[in-house]
Amino acid sequence: MLTALVALIGLFVAAYLALYKAGYIGVLACGTGGCETVQLSKWSTLFGISVATWGVGYYALVFGLAFAATTERFGAVKQIPLVLAVLTGWGVAFSAWLTYLELFVIHAICRYCVVSAVIAVLLFVLAFLDWRVSSRSSRTDP
Amino acid sequence: MEAKKTKTKAVAKAAKSGNNRPFYVAVGVLLVAGIATLSYMSSQNKSISYTDSIVTPIPNTGHVMGSDSALVEVVEFGDFECGVCGSFATLTEPDVRARLVMTGQIRFRFMDNPLSGHRYTWPAHMAAWCAGEQGKFWEMHDAIFQNQDRWVRPRPEKVLANLAQSVGVGMEQYDACMSSGKYRAQIQANMEEGQRRGVGGTPTFFFGRKVIPTIVNYDTFKANVDSLLKEAKAAAPKKK
Repeated sequence: MLTALVALIGLFVAAYLALYKAGYIGVLACGTGGCETVQLSKWSTLFGISVATWGVGYYALVFGLAFAATTERFGAVKQIPLVLAVLTGWGVAFSAWLTYLELFVIHAICRYCVVSAVIAVLLFVLAFLDWRVSSRSSRTDP
Repeated sequence: MEAKKTKTKAVAKAAKSGNNRPFYVAVGVLLVAGIATLSYMSSQNKSISYTDSIVTPIPNTGHVMGSDSALVEVVEFGDFECGVCGSFATLTEPDVRARLVMTGQIRFRFMDNPLSGHRYTWPAHMAAWCAGEQGKFWEMHDAIFQNQDRWVRPRPEKVLANLAQSVGVGMEQYDACMSSGKYRAQIQANMEEGQRRGVGGTPTFFFGRKVIPTIVNYDTFKANVDSLLKEAKAAAPKKK
């Protein structure tokens, strides 16, 4: 449950940046100007789509899976915790790469990207713990 | 054993259906709050605002391109380390200069607004002023924006000096100017003028009383100039 809530927060952070990138939000409430430097760098786009939009897709997927796991219909599906753990692990790796780019290549820090990175780590920790609990319980089941 | 399994499933089912209400409420609250926040932020993008007409014209600071007799003046508060300002300078400004400044329709003023979060921006602003001392401000302005990827890094002075040299600035005078920091107060004064006018980020453009605190493409720029010219032309006969 907590995983779904945290993913939802991440979804809104990513949506904010994606809306900025698409031109719907004029100025990022960043304060330092670093957000715009990052968002307008060549690294802010991947395969022709803004990284923020990929982020929206990623968080929506994590939210969808985590939410499904709370329902009666999909709650018993043992693969969901494993898929979530793998997916969020990949999210942490991708966030680490983006943070490296900000610090050592772009030389600017976007505070929303930092928030997103923290959320990505939190999601991984939650998903990993959830997966461990579910795999233990499935082992103890007769 | 089968009975135990059924019991476990039933307990899980009850837990999922019964205890989930707070979770669904939290999801609902988050959804509403998130959507409301995003809607509010996008509505702020109308970011176009109007200053009080009592605000006095910007004093003759910064750097100006264009004719004194141009009917209107457009002012940009910019930061050399700001990527968006760089995008404007390299993508839109060439058109603005060719079609609006050089044709005598507008005067374009660049005001320094180095943002506090940009670590390397001050040397760039100083370098532009030092180049300006030798009549090369705009050449240096362009070189600085076009080469942000080269000098936005620790110890940018050397790259900035190379840029100054490449645009034809005399290096002896440039070096002396940079070491003296003589234009620091002038840059600071520009920043204070920006603060007085409520400039928060960069770039911020002033089309007369109209403020656009974000990057604009050429069409938007031109549309704003046209309406400003219309106002200026309408007001001109009254003054006579």
